[in-house]
Amino acid sequence: MTFRSRLLVAFGGVVLVPLAVFGLGIRREMARRVGAQYERRVTSLVAVIGADVARESDGIAGRLGALKDALAADNRFRVSALQGGERSYLLDYAGSAMRLAGLDFLQILDDEGRVVSSGHFRNEYDRLSAAPPSAGPALVGARTAEGTFLALIRADSLRLGAGTESRGRRFTLVGGVAVDSLFLSRLARDGELAVSVVLPGDSVAPDSAGRVVAELPYVDSTGASVRQARIVVTHSADLLTALQRNVDTWFAAAVLATALIALLLAGWLSTRISRPLTALAGKTAAIDVDRLDVVFESDRADEIGALTRLLGAMTERLRTGAARLRDMERRVALGDLARQVNHDVKNGLAPLRNVFRHLTQVARDEPAQLPQVFAERQGTVESSIGYLETLAANYARLYPQMERKPTDVNAVVREALRHVAGAEHAELRTELPDGLPPVRVDALVLRRVLENLVGNAVDSLEGRPGTVTVATERGDGVVRITVADTGRGMTRPELDRAFDDFYTTKAGGTGLGLSIVRRLVLDSQGALRVETEPDQGSTFIVELPGEGGGGHVAS
Amino acid sequence: MMRRTAWLFALLAGACARPSAVRVAPAAGGACRLDAGRASHVPAVTVALTDSVDPAHAPVPLNDAERVVFGQLYETLLRFDCEGRPMPGLAESWTSSDGGRRWTLTLRAEAQFWDGAPVTARDVVVGKGGAGFTLSATDARVVTVALARGTDSPPAFLADPALAIVKPAPDRGWPIGTGRYWVTGATTTPQEIRAQTTAGDTLVFRLTTGRDPRDLLDAGVDLLITHDRAVLDYAATQPRFATLELPWDRAYLFAAAEPPTARLDGLEQAVRAEARRAEGPFWWEHLDACGPAPAPAPAGTASAPAQRRTVFPRRDGAARDLAGRIAALTHGVAAGLAPADFARALAAGTEAGYVFPVPRQVADPCRAARDLLPPWPSMVAALVDTRSRAVVRRGGSLWVVDWDGTVHVAPQ
Repeated sequence: MTFRSRLLVAFGGVVLVPLAVFGLGIRREMARRVGAQYERRVTSLVAVIGADVARESDGIAGRLGALKDALAADNRFRVSALQGGERSYLLDYAGSAMRLAGLDFLQILDDEGRVVSSGHFRNEYDRLSAAPPSAGPALVGARTAEGTFLALIRADSLRLGAGTESRGRRFTLVGGVAVDSLFLSRLARDGELAVSVVLPGDSVAPDSAGRVVAELPYVDSTGASVRQARIVVTHSADLLTALQRNVDTWFAAAVLATALIALLLAGWLSTRISRPLTALAGKTAAIDVDRLDVVFESDRADEIGALTRLLGAMTERLRTGAARLRDMERRVALGDLARQVNHDVKNGLAPLRNVFRHLTQVARDEPAQLPQVFAERQGTVESSIGYLETLAANYARLYPQMERKPTDVNAVVREALRHVAGAEHAELRTELPDGLPPVRVDALVLRRVLENLVGNAVDSLEGRPGTVTVATERGDGVVRITVADTGRGMTRPELDRAFDDFYTTKAGGTGLGLSIVRRLVLDSQGALRVETEPDQGSTFIVELPGEGGGGHVAS
Repeated sequence: MMRRTAWLFALLAGACARPSAVRVAPAAGGACRLDAGRASHVPAVTVALTDSVDPAHAPVPLNDAERVVFGQLYETLLRFDCEGRPMPGLAESWTSSDGGRRWTLTLRAEAQFWDGAPVTARDVVVGKGGAGFTLSATDARVVTVALARGTDSPPAFLADPALAIVKPAPDRGWPIGTGRYWVTGATTTPQEIRAQTTAGDTLVFRLTTGRDPRDLLDAGVDLLITHDRAVLDYAATQPRFATLELPWDRAYLFAAAEPPTARLDGLEQAVRAEARRAEGPFWWEHLDACGPAPAPAPAGTASAPAQRRTVFPRRDGAARDLAGRIAALTHGVAAGLAPADFARALAAGTEAGYVFPVPRQVADPCRAARDLLPPWPSMVAALVDTRSRAVVRRGGSLWVVDWDGTVHVAPQ
């Protein structure tokens, strides 16, 4: 797991878990408060409904009081009721009075409880009606010709014809309003509440008992008995559930949004923190013994700045060490070369010394044979001289003089490929894109590098058909030249010694080609890498930087 | 109360008895005149109607308004006044023979339809007939009525609106009659029916449906027939109107398969219209000659009512009052039905009880029994008689009352 991923996970753990816990706590508290608020609201509405019932009852009582006064003042009713006059007037009286008073139920009962006049059911006259409660509201099952309806009633009474010798007749006015769905919905006011009447004998589900607004005496349509009925308010949990679901939805949305923002912030922070480290890692990965030109600089005052500066100091020490190492290597190489030269010169001089010793001996002992012996040994002399000349030429090639100037790499590649010899069995391919920037290099040196690499590539085919591909491309501040073959490739031990002087795997090879290539590339501030697999081929990669670049060799 | 157990075909003409006499009070200057003081000829007479009028029903009325309108427009062979005395109708004279079993009626010489076509005896008899009598055209102006049983006076069915002389109109609107007043679709609007005579007299029937009849009284009408107490009380306050009693023309019956569980008396108090305890004799008590008793309702066609209820025609206030009272007495319920639904329910016999009105006087009791009474064996009780009152403009036209309570403009 990368540092950035770990940072992200850690941030998520640190931020999201507390956020979730905090959010759940808030959600729980909100649900509790919403529920409590809803309960308080229902309670207040129930109180309002109770007050409405009481107000309705008082309104009925007020209207009955007015009717009672009007009835007492009505001489026609008095005569009809007390003296048995106009019966139709009596029968129609309650109907007119009920409509005038805005009631749905009105009975005028005599002192025996018989209906004298009925507004809601004119023709129930003479029926014995149950005595309503003398005080307070009640519910009755009122009969009409078409059926029954429930009514909220009040009762009042008056006495007509009371004199000194007679107590007169007592009449009871029972008036009310229909307790129908309209009445109950008007009481409920709010759609979330439902007001219902629970009559004696009604089956009520235990979980829907609701809240009792009022408990009233109830007289059914038969008037058999007086029992208790209840006006009950039930409220649906749908609204509360919907409200809580709404809260949950918004809460979840808020948590998700917060988590998303936290993750984005964590990603940004982790990137911001890890980017310098990634850059440091990249620069550090680029450090090599032959490539120590990587610069570690930072103005940061934090640990990353300190680490950058430490890496810079370490790189500087590595550069110094590498320079010393190269110097030592050069010295070792010079020593080896000197010993090799000494050895080679001695090898070249030994035949000459032998020839001169022989000639000297012949001149001294047999002067006449000297021309013949000279002629016989002339070949040896010339051969040795030729060997020495070749040796001199070879050593002269180790240290050519460089003239660095802006050079078109592709042009040099094309020129070098024109002089490749012995490539009849090889297929030469080039991938030379246009627009490569020029590199500052000695064109002859570059050509020599390329000739060596291409020549080695052709030789690696060992006479078998194969391909040699030379490609150039623009790199990160460098121009990259790739010479790839499909030849024999190198083993690891061969690769380890491939750049050593005088090491060769070819018959007749000098063992100096790659050594020279390496030195020329390094002297050109470039870099050389090798990728090789036995029997698969080798790829030599030369990277030539612009001015001020260094060089290195890697495999 | 009567239990009808058997019906016989009316093979005897005596089943259709002479109408009983009715009284109109006050009756000064003529027993059947509505006396509102000095009357005079009024060329334009306005009658207020409290029910709707459908020309498709003509000439047989289905409500009080149609009875007034159709009675004025369409003629029967004879009329009977409120005392039951025969009066000339389309027939100007009549004689009997064969012991009262054969009656010969002579049509008016100048009788003609509204379109000017002369009325012949054939126009009178074609398609007409009934139980216990036959009609035949002796010559162009003479109609012969043959009865199964002889009578002393002309049979009442001769004044039956079902035997009124009409022919269909080309526009399929008002049938063409022979009466003095004629009417067409062109003289009819939703608000009024304008009938005219060839002499230029006009009779305007003004419909009060949906309106307060008192407004029409204020606007000036010559005749308004109503039982609405508020209207009658208002008319009583107007000196230009006289309020006159009309005959007890309607009886309300209670029909049920079983006798009621409570005594059905004193019901006249339950009716807001002017009512009295029903007084016989009743025409439905003498139906033995009309045929066999109705068969019981076929099994399966009548189902037991889910609730014990008494049904009544919805628009009839008196029937509603009576049904309500019966519901109060029997601890049942009352339910109003549309006329067509009530007729179906009465035919089916599925309800606990039926309250409905019938005419006190009918020209053909057998046909009335067939049309109005339950077709199944039933207990029929007469509950109350009701009547309306006529509000007549003083000094206006002279109005007379027929045997069945129909009010006419008296012929000049």
